[in-house]
Amino acid sequence: MTDVLTAIDDALDTGVAADDDPLTRELQELALVLREDAPQATPEFRERMDWRVESGFQKPRGSRRAWWQPLLQPAAALALTGAVVLVVALAAGGRSGSGGDDSGGSSAGPALATDDSGGGGRAAESDSGGAAAGPALSAPKESARSAGGADQAAATVLPPSGGGFAPGRSNRKIERSVALELEMPVDEMARVADQVTAVTNRYGGFVLNSSLSTGNDGAGGDFDLRIPSNRLRSAVRDLSALAEVRTQSQTGRDVTREHVTAKDRLRAARAERRSLLRRLEVATTDEEAEAIRRRLDLVAGEINGLRAQLRDLRLRTDYSVVTVTLASKDGESGGAGGGSFDDALGDAGSLLVSVAGWIVRGLAVGLPLGLLALAGWLVGRVVRRRQRESALA
Amino acid sequence: MNEAFAEAVPLTGTAPTEAFTELYERTFPRVYAYVASLLRDRSAAEDVTAQAFERAYRKRRAYRPGRGSMDAWLFGIARNAALDELRRRKRRAVLEVDPEDTDARAPEEHAELAVRRETVRAALASLDGQERDLIALKFAGGLSNGEIARVLRMSESNVGTRLHRTITKLREACHD
Repeated sequence: MTDVLTAIDDALDTGVAADDDPLTRELQELALVLREDAPQATPEFRERMDWRVESGFQKPRGSRRAWWQPLLQPAAALALTGAVVLVVALAAGGRSGSGGDDSGGSSAGPALATDDSGGGGRAAESDSGGAAAGPALSAPKESARSAGGADQAAATVLPPSGGGFAPGRSNRKIERSVALELEMPVDEMARVADQVTAVTNRYGGFVLNSSLSTGNDGAGGDFDLRIPSNRLRSAVRDLSALAEVRTQSQTGRDVTREHVTAKDRLRAARAERRSLLRRLEVATTDEEAEAIRRRLDLVAGEINGLRAQLRDLRLRTDYSVVTVTLASKDGESGGAGGGSFDDALGDAGSLLVSVAGWIVRGLAVGLPLGLLALAGWLVGRVVRRRQRESALA
Repeated sequence: MNEAFAEAVPLTGTAPTEAFTELYERTFPRVYAYVASLLRDRSAAEDVTAQAFERAYRKRRAYRPGRGSMDAWLFGIARNAALDELRRRKRRAVLEVDPEDTDARAPEEHAELAVRRETVRAALASLDGQERDLIALKFAGGLSNGEIARVLRMSESNVGTRLHRTITKLREACHD
Protein backbone atom coordinates (compact mmCIF):
# COMPACT_ATOMS: atom_id res chain seq x y z
CA MET A 1 0.00 0.00 0.00
CA THR A 2 2.81 2.38 0.88
CA ASP A 3 4.49 1.64 -2.44
CA VAL A 4 1.31 2.47 -4.32
CA LEU A 5 0.89 5.75 -2.46
CA THR A 6 4.53 6.61 -3.05
CA ALA A 7 4.11 5.82 -6.74
CA ILE A 8 1.06 8.06 -6.90
CA ASP A 9 2.96 10.89 -5.24
CA ASP A 10 5.82 10.36 -7.70
CA ALA A 11 3.42 10.59 -10.61
CA LEU A 12 1.90 13.77 -9.20
CA ASP A 13 5.39 15.24 -8.79
CA THR A 14 6.67 14.31 -12.22
CA GLY A 15 3.40 14.40 -14.11
CA VAL A 16 4.20 10.99 -15.62
CA ALA A 17 2.68 7.60 -14.88
CA ALA A 18 5.64 5.28 -15.38
CA ASP A 19 5.43 2.55 -12.76
CA ASP A 20 6.36 -0.97 -13.91
CA ASP A 21 3.35 -2.52 -12.26
CA PRO A 22 0.33 -2.09 -14.56
CA LEU A 23 -2.08 -1.75 -11.68
CA THR A 24 0.00 0.90 -9.96
CA ARG A 25 0.52 2.68 -13.26
CA GLU A 26 -3.21 2.72 -13.77
CA LEU A 27 -3.66 4.32 -10.37
CA GLN A 28 -0.98 6.86 -11.25
CA GLU A 29 -2.84 7.73 -14.44
CA LEU A 30 -6.04 8.02 -12.46
CA ALA A 31 -4.34 10.40 -10.02
CA LEU A 32 -3.09 12.54 -12.89
CA VAL A 33 -6.54 12.70 -14.43
CA LEU A 34 -8.03 13.66 -11.13
CA ARG A 35 -5.53 16.47 -10.72
CA GLU A 36 -5.90 17.70 -14.27
CA ASP A 37 -9.66 17.58 -13.96
CA ALA A 38 -9.64 19.79 -10.87
CA PRO A 39 -11.81 22.91 -11.30
CA GLN A 40 -10.00 26.12 -12.11
CA ALA A 41 -10.97 29.60 -11.09
CA THR A 42 -11.98 32.02 -13.75
CA PRO A 43 -9.60 34.92 -14.45
CA GLU A 44 -12.29 37.37 -13.31
CA PHE A 45 -12.59 35.72 -9.94
CA ARG A 46 -8.84 35.55 -9.59
CA GLU A 47 -8.63 39.24 -10.38
CA ARG A 48 -11.25 40.09 -7.79
CA MET A 49 -9.50 37.99 -5.20
CA ASP A 50 -6.16 39.62 -5.99
CA TRP A 51 -7.77 42.97 -5.38
CA ARG A 52 -9.32 41.90 -2.09
CA VAL A 53 -6.07 40.44 -0.85
CA GLU A 54 -4.19 43.58 -1.80
CA SER A 55 -6.75 45.72 0.00
CA GLY A 56 -6.50 43.59 3.10
CA PHE A 57 -10.09 42.33 2.82
CA GLN A 58 -11.50 45.68 3.77
CA LYS A 59 -15.22 45.66 4.11
CA PRO A 60 -17.24 48.33 2.39
CA ARG A 61 -18.64 51.08 4.61
CA GLY A 62 -21.88 50.11 6.25
CA SER A 63 -21.22 46.41 6.00
CA ARG A 64 -19.44 46.19 9.32
CA ARG A 65 -21.21 44.18 11.91
CA ALA A 66 -22.91 46.06 14.69
CA TRP A 67 -20.95 46.11 17.95
CA TRP A 68 -23.53 43.94 19.66
CA GLN A 69 -23.67 41.21 17.04
CA PRO A 70 -20.65 39.30 18.33
CA LEU A 71 -22.47 39.09 21.66
CA LEU A 72 -24.97 36.79 20.00
CA GLN A 73 -22.31 34.17 19.47
CA PRO A 74 -22.86 31.26 21.90
CA ALA A 75 -19.47 31.53 23.53
CA ALA A 76 -19.74 35.29 23.88
CA ALA A 77 -23.25 35.00 25.23
CA LEU A 78 -22.11 32.40 27.75
CA ALA A 79 -19.19 34.55 28.81
CA LEU A 80 -21.43 37.58 29.12
CA THR A 81 -23.95 35.64 31.21
CA GLY A 82 -21.13 34.39 33.40
CA ALA A 83 -19.84 37.90 33.87
CA VAL A 84 -23.28 39.17 34.84
CA VAL A 85 -23.75 36.32 37.31
CA LEU A 86 -20.28 37.01 38.68
CA VAL A 87 -21.05 40.69 39.20
CA VAL A 88 -24.35 39.89 40.86
CA ALA A 89 -22.70 37.28 43.07
CA LEU A 90 -19.94 39.67 43.99
CA ALA A 91 -22.45 42.36 44.77
CA ALA A 92 -24.37 39.95 46.98
CA GLY A 93 -21.14 38.84 48.57
CA GLY A 94 -20.22 42.44 49.16
CA ARG A 95 -23.44 43.06 50.97
CA SER A 96 -22.95 40.07 53.21
CA GLY A 97 -19.34 41.01 53.58
CA SER A 98 -20.20 44.44 54.85
CA GLY A 99 -22.66 42.80 57.15
CA GLY A 100 -19.84 40.64 58.34
CA ASP A 101 -18.43 43.57 60.25
CA ASP A 102 -21.35 43.18 62.50
CA SER A 103 -21.41 39.49 61.97
CA GLY A 104 -23.53 38.65 64.95
CA GLY A 105 -26.16 41.03 63.73
CA SER A 106 -26.75 39.28 60.51
CA SER A 107 -26.71 35.86 62.01
CA ALA A 108 -28.93 36.77 64.85
CA GLY A 109 -31.49 38.38 62.62
CA PRO A 110 -33.24 35.33 61.25
CA ALA A 111 -33.24 33.52 64.54
CA LEU A 112 -34.66 36.42 66.41
CA ALA A 113 -37.01 37.29 63.60
CA THR A 114 -39.14 34.35 64.57
CA ASP A 115 -39.43 35.52 68.10
CA ASP A 116 -42.59 37.49 67.69
CA SER A 117 -44.05 35.44 64.92
CA GLY A 118 -44.53 32.12 66.63
CA GLY A 119 -48.15 31.54 67.19
CA GLY A 120 -47.72 28.64 69.54
CA GLY A 121 -50.98 27.05 70.36
CA ARG A 122 -49.97 23.49 69.58
CA ALA A 123 -49.98 21.14 72.46
CA ALA A 124 -46.60 19.99 73.54
CA GLU A 125 -45.92 16.32 73.35
CA SER A 126 -43.66 14.19 75.39
CA ASP A 127 -42.48 10.78 74.38
CA SER A 128 -40.64 9.94 77.54
CA GLY A 129 -41.68 9.93 81.08
CA GLY A 130 -45.29 9.97 80.05
CA ALA A 131 -45.70 13.59 81.03
CA ALA A 132 -48.92 14.84 79.53
CA ALA A 133 -47.60 18.24 78.75
CA GLY A 134 -50.71 19.59 77.06
CA PRO A 135 -53.15 20.48 79.80
CA ALA A 136 -50.56 20.20 82.52
CA LEU A 137 -48.42 22.83 80.86
CA SER A 138 -51.16 25.37 80.45
CA ALA A 139 -48.81 28.23 81.13
CA PRO A 140 -49.88 31.85 81.37
CA LYS A 141 -50.59 33.56 78.08
CA GLU A 142 -47.42 35.61 78.18
CA SER A 143 -45.32 32.58 78.85
CA ALA A 144 -46.97 30.55 76.13
CA ARG A 145 -46.31 33.29 73.61
CA SER A 146 -42.73 33.35 74.60
CA ALA A 147 -42.42 29.61 74.19
CA GLY A 148 -44.23 29.72 70.90
CA GLY A 149 -41.71 32.16 69.60
CA ALA A 150 -38.90 30.14 70.92
CA ASP A 151 -39.80 26.96 69.16
CA GLN A 152 -39.22 28.47 65.76
CA ALA A 153 -35.86 29.78 66.78
CA ALA A 154 -34.72 26.26 67.52
CA ALA A 155 -32.02 26.47 64.90
CA THR A 156 -29.88 28.52 67.21
CA VAL A 157 -30.91 26.83 70.39
CA LEU A 158 -28.92 24.15 72.11
CA PRO A 159 -30.54 20.73 71.84
CA PRO A 160 -32.51 19.53 74.83
CA SER A 161 -30.41 17.55 77.21
CA GLY A 162 -32.73 14.72 77.98
CA GLY A 163 -34.68 14.18 74.82
CA GLY A 164 -38.39 13.79 74.67
CA PHE A 165 -39.04 17.35 73.50
CA ALA A 166 -38.56 17.49 69.82
CA PRO A 167 -37.39 20.80 68.40
CA GLY A 168 -40.09 22.77 66.70
CA ARG A 169 -42.80 21.82 69.15
CA SER A 170 -44.89 24.39 70.93
CA ASN A 171 -44.66 25.32 74.57
CA ARG A 172 -40.97 24.78 74.73
CA LYS A 173 -39.19 26.78 77.36
CA ILE A 174 -36.04 28.43 76.09
CA GLU A 175 -33.54 30.41 78.06
CA ARG A 176 -32.07 33.04 75.80
CA SER A 177 -29.15 35.35 76.03
CA VAL A 178 -27.90 37.89 73.57
CA ALA A 179 -24.59 39.73 73.69
CA LEU A 180 -24.14 42.94 71.72
CA GLU A 181 -21.01 44.97 71.35
CA LEU A 182 -21.65 48.45 70.08
CA GLU A 183 -18.98 50.75 68.79
CA MET A 184 -19.21 54.52 68.80
CA PRO A 185 -17.13 57.64 69.21
CA VAL A 186 -16.37 58.51 72.80
CA ASP A 187 -18.42 61.68 72.73
CA GLU A 188 -21.53 59.69 71.79
CA MET A 189 -21.16 57.08 74.47
CA ALA A 190 -23.25 58.83 77.10
CA ARG A 191 -26.07 59.39 74.66
CA VAL A 192 -26.02 55.73 73.56
CA ALA A 193 -25.98 54.60 77.19
CA ASP A 194 -29.12 56.62 77.88
CA GLN A 195 -30.78 55.15 74.85
CA VAL A 196 -29.92 51.61 75.90
CA THR A 197 -31.84 52.20 79.10
CA ALA A 198 -34.67 53.88 77.22
CA VAL A 199 -35.01 50.99 74.78
CA THR A 200 -34.99 48.51 77.64
CA ASN A 201 -37.77 50.36 79.42
CA ARG A 202 -39.74 50.76 76.23
CA TYR A 203 -39.93 47.01 75.75
CA GLY A 204 -40.89 46.30 79.32
CA GLY A 205 -37.47 45.15 80.42
CA PHE A 206 -35.21 46.32 83.18
CA VAL A 207 -31.56 47.05 83.72
CA LEU A 208 -30.02 44.59 86.14
CA ASN A 209 -26.52 46.06 86.18
CA SER A 210 -24.83 48.85 84.32
CA SER A 211 -21.54 50.65 84.27
CA LEU A 212 -20.30 53.47 82.10
CA SER A 213 -16.98 55.18 81.74
CA THR A 214 -16.42 58.06 79.37
CA GLY A 215 -12.93 59.15 80.37
CA ASN A 216 -10.11 59.40 77.90
CA ASP A 217 -8.49 56.32 79.38
CA GLY A 218 -10.52 53.34 78.29
CA ALA A 219 -13.99 54.68 77.66
CA GLY A 220 -16.65 51.98 77.67
CA GLY A 221 -19.77 50.64 79.24
CA ASP A 222 -21.53 47.42 80.19
CA PHE A 223 -25.23 46.82 80.57
CA ASP A 224 -26.86 43.67 81.89
CA LEU A 225 -30.45 43.79 80.76
CA ARG A 226 -33.52 41.61 81.08
CA ILE A 227 -35.99 41.95 78.25
CA PRO A 228 -39.26 40.04 77.77
CA SER A 229 -38.48 37.15 75.44
CA ASN A 230 -41.48 37.79 73.26
CA ARG A 231 -40.18 41.29 72.49
CA LEU A 232 -36.55 40.35 72.21
CA ARG A 233 -36.30 40.68 68.45
CA SER A 234 -37.62 44.21 68.36
CA ALA A 235 -35.53 45.23 71.33
CA VAL A 236 -32.31 43.84 69.84
CA ARG A 237 -33.12 45.50 66.55
CA ASP A 238 -33.50 48.87 68.28
CA LEU A 239 -30.39 48.34 70.37
CA SER A 240 -28.41 47.46 67.24
CA ALA A 241 -29.56 50.66 65.64
CA LEU A 242 -28.10 52.79 68.41
CA ALA A 243 -24.54 52.46 67.13
CA GLU A 244 -22.35 50.41 64.87
CA VAL A 245 -22.51 46.76 65.87
CA ARG A 246 -19.06 45.28 66.27
CA THR A 247 -20.15 41.79 67.35
CA GLN A 248 -23.38 40.12 68.21
CA SER A 249 -23.99 36.63 69.52
CA GLN A 250 -26.83 34.74 71.03
CA THR A 251 -27.32 31.48 72.83
CA GLY A 252 -30.33 29.49 73.84
CA ARG A 253 -30.93 26.60 76.21
CA ASP A 254 -33.98 24.41 76.22
CA VAL A 255 -35.28 24.03 79.79
CA THR A 256 -38.62 22.50 78.89
CA ARG A 257 -37.75 19.23 80.52
CA GLU A 258 -36.83 20.87 83.80
CA HIS A 259 -40.03 22.86 83.66
CA VAL A 260 -42.23 19.85 83.02
CA THR A 261 -40.52 17.80 85.66
CA ALA A 262 -40.94 20.54 88.26
CA LYS A 263 -44.61 20.96 87.40
CA ASP A 264 -45.22 17.23 87.61
CA ARG A 265 -43.50 17.04 90.94
CA LEU A 266 -45.47 20.04 92.18
CA ARG A 267 -48.73 18.46 91.12
CA ALA A 268 -47.79 15.22 92.79
CA ALA A 269 -46.76 17.02 95.98
CA ARG A 270 -50.05 18.89 96.07
CA ALA A 271 -51.97 15.69 95.56
CA GLU A 272 -50.03 14.11 98.39
CA ARG A 273 -50.77 17.09 100.63
CA ARG A 274 -54.46 16.77 99.87
CA SER A 275 -54.31 13.09 100.67
CA LEU A 276 -52.43 13.74 103.89
CA LEU A 277 -54.96 16.36 104.94
CA ARG A 278 -57.79 13.92 104.33
CA ARG A 279 -55.94 11.28 106.35
CA LEU A 280 -55.31 13.83 109.13
CA GLU A 281 -59.02 14.50 109.39
CA VAL A 282 -59.76 10.89 110.01
CA ALA A 283 -56.74 10.11 112.17
CA THR A 284 -57.81 8.27 115.32
CA THR A 285 -54.68 8.45 117.42
CA ASP A 286 -52.29 11.25 118.34
CA GLU A 287 -49.30 9.32 117.07
CA GLU A 288 -50.89 8.86 113.69
CA ALA A 289 -51.83 12.53 113.53
CA GLU A 290 -48.34 13.60 114.50
CA ALA A 291 -46.78 11.42 111.80
CA ILE A 292 -49.10 12.87 109.21
CA ARG A 293 -48.24 16.43 110.30
CA ARG A 294 -44.54 15.72 110.03
CA ARG A 295 -45.10 14.36 106.59
CA LEU A 296 -47.23 17.41 105.72
CA ASP A 297 -44.37 19.70 106.76
CA LEU A 298 -42.02 17.87 104.47
CA VAL A 299 -44.46 18.03 101.59
CA ALA A 300 -45.09 21.72 102.20
CA GLY A 301 -41.36 22.40 102.07
CA GLU A 302 -41.13 20.44 98.85
CA ILE A 303 -44.04 22.38 97.37
CA ASN A 304 -42.43 25.70 98.28
CA GLY A 305 -39.13 24.62 96.75
CA LEU A 306 -40.82 23.50 93.54
CA ARG A 307 -42.78 26.73 93.33
CA ALA A 308 -39.59 28.71 93.66
CA GLN A 309 -37.94 26.57 91.01
CA LEU A 310 -40.83 27.13 88.64
CA ARG A 311 -40.80 30.88 89.30
CA ASP A 312 -37.11 30.97 88.59
CA LEU A 313 -37.53 28.98 85.40
CA ARG A 314 -40.38 31.19 84.29
CA LEU A 315 -38.36 34.30 84.94
CA ARG A 316 -35.42 32.92 82.97
CA THR A 317 -37.57 31.96 80.02
CA ASP A 318 -39.93 34.91 80.06
CA TYR A 319 -37.04 37.35 80.24
CA SER A 320 -33.98 37.08 78.06
CA VAL A 321 -30.56 38.13 79.23
CA VAL A 322 -29.18 40.88 77.03
CA THR A 323 -25.64 42.07 77.58
CA VAL A 324 -24.69 45.28 75.87
CA THR A 325 -21.08 46.37 75.77
CA LEU A 326 -20.23 49.86 74.64
CA ALA A 327 -16.82 50.36 73.12
CA SER A 328 -15.18 53.40 71.65
CA LYS A 329 -13.95 53.28 68.08
CA ASP A 330 -10.29 52.46 67.58
CA GLY A 331 -8.01 55.43 67.81
CA GLU A 332 -10.58 57.60 69.54
CA SER A 333 -10.55 56.33 73.06
CA GLY A 334 -7.42 57.99 74.27
CA GLY A 335 -7.89 61.13 72.31
CA ALA A 336 -5.15 60.05 69.93
CA GLY A 337 -5.46 61.02 66.30
CA GLY A 338 -6.42 58.46 63.64
CA GLY A 339 -3.62 59.25 61.28
CA SER A 340 -0.68 57.58 62.93
CA PHE A 341 1.65 55.20 61.12
CA ASP A 342 0.19 52.27 63.06
CA ASP A 343 -3.27 53.24 61.94
CA ALA A 344 -2.10 53.43 58.37
CA LEU A 345 -0.55 49.99 58.68
CA GLY A 346 -3.72 48.66 60.19
CA ASP A 347 -5.81 50.18 57.44
CA ALA A 348 -3.50 48.76 54.80
CA GLY A 349 -3.75 45.32 56.37
CA SER A 350 -7.53 45.54 56.48
CA LEU A 351 -7.59 46.66 52.89
CA LEU A 352 -5.41 43.75 51.84
CA VAL A 353 -7.64 41.29 53.68
CA SER A 354 -10.67 42.86 52.09
CA VAL A 355 -9.17 42.65 48.61
CA ALA A 356 -8.14 39.04 49.21
CA GLY A 357 -11.67 38.32 50.31
CA TRP A 358 -13.04 39.79 47.11
CA ILE A 359 -10.62 37.75 45.07
CA VAL A 360 -11.58 34.54 46.87
CA ARG A 361 -15.26 35.32 46.39
CA GLY A 362 -14.65 36.07 42.74
CA LEU A 363 -12.77 32.83 42.31
CA ALA A 364 -15.44 30.88 44.14
CA VAL A 365 -18.00 32.09 41.65
CA GLY A 366 -15.82 32.53 38.60
CA LEU A 367 -13.97 29.23 38.71
CA PRO A 368 -17.03 26.97 38.46
CA LEU A 369 -18.49 29.29 35.88
CA GLY A 370 -15.27 29.24 33.93
CA LEU A 371 -15.14 25.46 34.03
CA LEU A 372 -18.75 25.34 32.97
CA ALA A 373 -18.07 27.71 30.11
CA LEU A 374 -15.03 25.68 29.08
CA ALA A 375 -17.04 22.46 29.11
CA GLY A 376 -19.78 24.17 27.12
CA TRP A 377 -17.28 25.48 24.63
CA LEU A 378 -15.70 22.04 24.19
CA VAL A 379 -19.06 20.35 23.79
CA GLY A 380 -20.15 23.05 21.38
CA ARG A 381 -16.99 22.55 19.37
CA VAL A 382 -17.53 18.81 19.10
CA VAL A 383 -21.17 19.26 18.19
CA ARG A 384 -20.32 21.90 15.59
CA ARG A 385 -17.69 19.67 14.08
CA ARG A 386 -20.06 16.72 13.91
CA GLN A 387 -22.68 18.87 12.32
CA ARG A 388 -20.18 20.00 9.74
CA GLU A 389 -19.06 16.48 9.04
CA SER A 390 -22.66 15.43 8.66
CA ALA A 391 -22.72 17.47 5.45
CA LEU A 392 -20.45 14.80 3.98
CA ALA A 393 -22.27 11.81 5.40
CA MET B 1 -22.10 40.50 -4.94
CA ASN B 2 -18.40 40.33 -5.49
CA GLU B 3 -18.47 43.08 -8.07
CA ALA B 4 -20.34 45.33 -5.71
CA PHE B 5 -17.90 44.48 -3.01
CA ALA B 6 -14.91 45.13 -5.21
CA GLU B 7 -16.25 48.52 -6.16
CA ALA B 8 -16.68 49.46 -2.54
CA VAL B 9 -13.18 48.52 -1.49
CA PRO B 10 -11.05 51.62 -1.21
CA LEU B 11 -7.75 51.46 -3.01
CA THR B 12 -5.89 52.67 0.04
CA GLY B 13 -6.63 49.66 2.16
CA THR B 14 -4.49 48.06 4.79
CA ALA B 15 -1.83 46.03 3.07
CA PRO B 16 -1.82 42.37 4.06
CA THR B 17 1.30 40.86 5.39
CA GLU B 18 3.77 39.54 2.91
CA ALA B 19 3.51 36.07 4.36
CA PHE B 20 -0.19 35.99 3.75
CA THR B 21 0.20 37.28 0.22
CA GLU B 22 2.70 34.57 -0.43
CA LEU B 23 0.33 31.99 1.01
CA TYR B 24 -2.46 33.30 -1.16
CA GLU B 25 -0.34 33.23 -4.31
CA ARG B 26 0.78 29.72 -3.60
CA THR B 27 -2.54 28.19 -2.62
CA PHE B 28 -5.31 30.10 -4.33
CA PRO B 29 -5.77 27.76 -7.34
CA ARG B 30 -5.65 24.68 -5.13
CA VAL B 31 -8.04 26.06 -2.52
CA TYR B 32 -10.50 27.03 -5.21
CA ALA B 33 -10.15 23.64 -6.89
CA TYR B 34 -10.76 21.86 -3.59
CA VAL B 35 -13.76 23.97 -2.63
CA ALA B 36 -15.26 23.71 -6.12
CA SER B 37 -14.76 19.93 -6.10
CA LEU B 38 -16.62 19.75 -2.84
CA LEU B 39 -19.43 22.16 -3.66
CA ARG B 40 -19.86 21.54 -7.40
CA ASP B 41 -21.14 25.06 -7.79
CA ARG B 42 -18.96 27.74 -9.34
CA SER B 43 -20.68 30.70 -7.69
CA ALA B 44 -20.77 29.06 -4.28
CA ALA B 45 -17.17 27.95 -4.68
CA GLU B 46 -16.09 31.51 -5.38
CA ASP B 47 -17.94 32.83 -2.37
CA VAL B 48 -16.58 30.14 -0.09
CA THR B 49 -13.03 30.53 -1.39
CA ALA B 50 -13.16 34.26 -0.81
CA GLN B 51 -14.64 33.67 2.60
CA ALA B 52 -11.92 31.17 3.47
CA PHE B 53 -9.11 33.53 2.52
CA GLU B 54 -10.74 36.37 4.37
CA ARG B 55 -11.16 34.28 7.51
CA ALA B 56 -7.56 33.15 7.21
CA TYR B 57 -6.46 36.74 6.81
CA ARG B 58 -8.36 37.90 9.86
CA LYS B 59 -7.15 34.98 11.95
CA ARG B 60 -3.64 34.91 10.56
CA ARG B 61 -2.16 35.74 13.95
CA ALA B 62 -3.85 32.65 15.40
CA TYR B 63 -1.81 30.37 13.16
CA ARG B 64 0.67 28.23 15.14
CA PRO B 65 3.41 26.59 13.08
CA GLY B 66 3.65 23.80 15.63
CA ARG B 67 0.20 22.61 14.69
CA GLY B 68 0.98 21.93 11.05
CA SER B 69 1.82 23.69 7.86
CA MET B 70 0.18 26.93 6.85
CA ASP B 71 -1.36 25.16 3.86
CA ALA B 72 -3.04 22.61 6.11
CA TRP B 73 -4.30 25.41 8.35
CA LEU B 74 -5.75 27.27 5.39
CA PHE B 75 -7.35 24.16 3.94
CA GLY B 76 -8.89 23.46 7.34
CA ILE B 77 -10.53 26.87 7.23
CA ALA B 78 -11.63 26.36 3.63
CA ARG B 79 -13.04 22.95 4.46
CA ASN B 80 -15.04 24.31 7.40
CA ALA B 81 -16.42 27.10 5.23
CA ALA B 82 -17.31 24.64 2.48
CA LEU B 83 -19.02 22.24 4.87
CA ASP B 84 -20.95 25.13 6.41
CA GLU B 85 -22.04 26.11 2.94
CA LEU B 86 -23.03 22.55 2.16
CA ARG B 87 -25.12 22.37 5.26
CA ARG B 88 -26.63 25.77 4.64
CA ARG B 89 -27.67 25.05 1.14
CA LYS B 90 -28.50 21.42 1.79
CA ARG B 91 -26.29 20.34 -1.02
CA ARG B 92 -26.16 16.74 0.01
CA ALA B 93 -28.23 15.73 -2.97
CA VAL B 94 -25.95 17.65 -5.27
CA LEU B 95 -22.94 15.86 -3.88
CA GLU B 96 -24.40 12.56 -4.84
CA VAL B 97 -25.09 13.38 -8.47
CA ASP B 98 -22.69 13.81 -11.28
CA PRO B 99 -20.50 16.83 -10.84
CA GLU B 100 -21.10 19.86 -12.90
CA ASP B 101 -18.47 20.51 -15.52
CA THR B 102 -16.88 23.51 -13.92
CA ASP B 103 -13.96 23.58 -16.24
CA ALA B 104 -14.87 24.21 -19.79
CA ARG B 105 -12.38 22.44 -21.99
CA ALA B 106 -11.27 23.45 -25.38
CA PRO B 107 -13.27 21.80 -28.18
CA GLU B 108 -10.15 20.38 -29.72
CA GLU B 109 -9.43 18.43 -26.55
CA HIS B 110 -8.43 14.91 -27.26
CA ALA B 111 -11.49 12.69 -27.46
CA GLU B 112 -9.91 9.84 -25.58
CA LEU B 113 -8.93 12.11 -22.73
CA ALA B 114 -12.42 13.58 -22.65
CA VAL B 115 -13.95 10.14 -22.41
CA ARG B 116 -11.60 9.22 -19.65
CA ARG B 117 -12.45 12.34 -17.73
CA GLU B 118 -16.12 11.61 -18.02
CA THR B 119 -15.51 8.08 -16.81
CA VAL B 120 -13.61 9.33 -13.78
CA ARG B 121 -16.28 11.89 -13.01
CA ALA B 122 -18.92 9.23 -13.15
CA ALA B 123 -16.83 7.03 -10.90
CA LEU B 124 -16.37 9.91 -8.49
CA ALA B 125 -20.12 10.16 -8.17
CA SER B 126 -20.18 6.63 -6.78
CA LEU B 127 -18.02 7.65 -3.84
CA ASP B 128 -19.50 8.87 -0.61
CA GLY B 129 -18.98 12.41 0.62
CA GLN B 130 -16.03 11.66 2.88
CA GLU B 131 -14.23 9.74 0.14
CA ARG B 132 -14.77 12.57 -2.28
CA ASP B 133 -13.52 15.01 0.33
CA LEU B 134 -10.37 12.94 0.66
CA ILE B 135 -9.86 12.76 -3.09
CA ALA B 136 -10.45 16.49 -3.39
CA LEU B 137 -7.93 17.30 -0.66
CA LYS B 138 -5.34 15.05 -2.27
CA PHE B 139 -5.70 15.77 -5.96
CA ALA B 140 -7.48 19.12 -6.21
CA GLY B 141 -5.92 20.58 -3.07
CA GLY B 142 -2.56 18.97 -3.70
CA LEU B 143 -1.94 18.31 -0.02
CA SER B 144 0.45 15.72 1.29
CA ASN B 145 -0.89 12.87 3.38
CA GLY B 146 0.48 14.55 6.48
CA GLU B 147 -1.31 17.78 5.69
CA ILE B 148 -4.53 15.92 4.98
CA ALA B 149 -4.15 14.22 8.34
CA ARG B 150 -3.94 17.67 9.94
CA VAL B 151 -7.01 18.92 8.12
CA LEU B 152 -9.09 15.85 8.88
CA ARG B 153 -7.64 15.45 12.38
CA MET B 154 -6.65 11.84 11.93
CA SER B 155 -3.36 9.99 11.79
CA GLU B 156 -1.26 10.05 8.66
CA SER B 157 -1.31 6.27 8.41
CA ASN B 158 -5.08 6.34 8.60
CA VAL B 159 -5.14 8.87 5.81
CA GLY B 160 -2.85 6.63 3.70
CA THR B 161 -5.06 3.62 4.29
CA ARG B 162 -8.23 5.47 3.44
CA LEU B 163 -6.64 7.08 0.41
CA HIS B 164 -5.46 3.76 -0.92
CA ARG B 165 -8.84 2.19 -0.37
CA THR B 166 -10.63 5.11 -1.99
CA ILE B 167 -8.48 5.34 -5.08
CA THR B 168 -8.72 1.59 -5.54
CA LYS B 169 -12.46 1.86 -5.25
CA LEU B 170 -12.40 4.67 -7.78
CA ARG B 171 -10.40 2.59 -10.21
CA GLU B 172 -12.87 -0.27 -9.87
CA ALA B 173 -15.74 2.14 -10.40
CA CYS B 174 -14.05 3.33 -13.60
CA HIS B 175 -14.05 -0.24 -14.90
CA ASP B 176 -17.69 -0.88 -14.02
